[in-house]
Amino acid sequence: MGKHIKFFLEQSWLLLVASVFFGICLAGLNAWWEPKIIANEIKKFNDLAGGLLTEAEKFEPAEVLTIDIGKGKTVDTQVKKAVSGGDVVGWAFIAEGAGFQDKIKLVVAVDKQFNKLRGFGVLSSNETPGFGDKIKTGDFYRNQFIGAPCEEFTLSKVGDDKKIDSEIVAVTGATVTSESVVKILNNFISQVKAQMKEKGYI
Amino acid sequence: MANATDISISKTFIAGLWEENPVLRLLLGMCPTLAVTAAVKPALTMGCSVIFVLICSNIVVSLMRNLLKPHLRILMFTLTIATFVTIADLFLKAYVPDMSETLGPYIPLIIVNCIIICRAEACASQNGLVVSVIDAIGMGLGFTGTLCVLAGIRELLATGKVFEIVVFAARDPVTNEGWFTPWAAMGMPVGAFVTLGLLLGLVNLITKKQA
Repeated sequence: MGKHIKFFLEQSWLLLVASVFFGICLAGLNAWWEPKIIANEIKKFNDLAGGLLTEAEKFEPAEVLTIDIGKGKTVDTQVKKAVSGGDVVGWAFIAEGAGFQDKIKLVVAVDKQFNKLRGFGVLSSNETPGFGDKIKTGDFYRNQFIGAPCEEFTLSKVGDDKKIDSEIVAVTGATVTSESVVKILNNFISQVKAQMKEKGYI
Repeated sequence: MANATDISISKTFIAGLWEENPVLRLLLGMCPTLAVTAAVKPALTMGCSVIFVLICSNIVVSLMRNLLKPHLRILMFTLTIATFVTIADLFLKAYVPDMSETLGPYIPLIIVNCIIICRAEACASQNGLVVSVIDAIGMGLGFTGTLCVLAGIRELLATGKVFEIVVFAARDPVTNEGWFTPWAAMGMPVGAFVTLGLLLGLVNLITKKQA
């Protein structure tokens, strides 16, 4: 037994020492940079949500909700309340789901009573440049959601994109991406609204 | 290829830039080459990350080369490379969050980039510190330069810009101002394949003429 341990140590001492040393280095760097990384994430959320709920002075964590995203999977989303002069002026949360090429993460803002959508911002996506990425780079698609009622959205290929209602006109050449955003919003808004109602926030 | 004996530092450096250019001559690191070259900024960030990882891993491997057990060396290389890639990933997330997000999984994927493990095996594990560092800088600059050229061509044709600076005035569909119609396909994977193929053809043509 002792012979085996000696052989093992002779062969692998460098690997063991290096693993411990690199592990300590990474732990130290992670501890040093983690607050900055978290601050970056919060800043991005606040920038996007602040652009949608312009009257908000700050965003405060309200509740962590579990959302069913289908196929037996769930994700936790932090709902934040938008506060202005001590009053709640709206809510913002992260919604996510599958896009055409990769996962799409959105920051969704709604009014105080969950009656109207204040809009969405794209936190992360990897959709086709020139087509699907218009959900992030263009205003045409996103503007249709600003002030739209918080109810089931439907997607159509043709229609009046200036009319603010629950019918959304898809981005030409990016029907799958447009559909993904509508599905993500429908799924998250309905579940967040129901759970917030249940918990007495609205 | 630079070997243990008769090493010339200048030759080692230049080899990475042209004769043994990892992308154009050795066809290594194809995954990031095709994936992050839609614009120059992400390509440059990827290149700088690879240079950092290459230099650091070559230094560590070179310093440990006499202690390495032959059958455990690949494990040691992977451990070293993974450490420096994690450092690069954390640094980008902390200080260049937009680029970190744009590059997505391609920064962590540097761990499996063949260029780095190739240089650790072929150069750093057989040579001293100076040669290993020069080799890493040459290879890293060769990789970064190629990525930037590829990205520059694609960004210019896809958007009319290079490094986000307008070069060709792209036509505005509403006002009809500008003369250049952007080639959207150049920003997509097909653009990466076509541009890389043409660049490889051009390099082959030049090297055949030189021979």
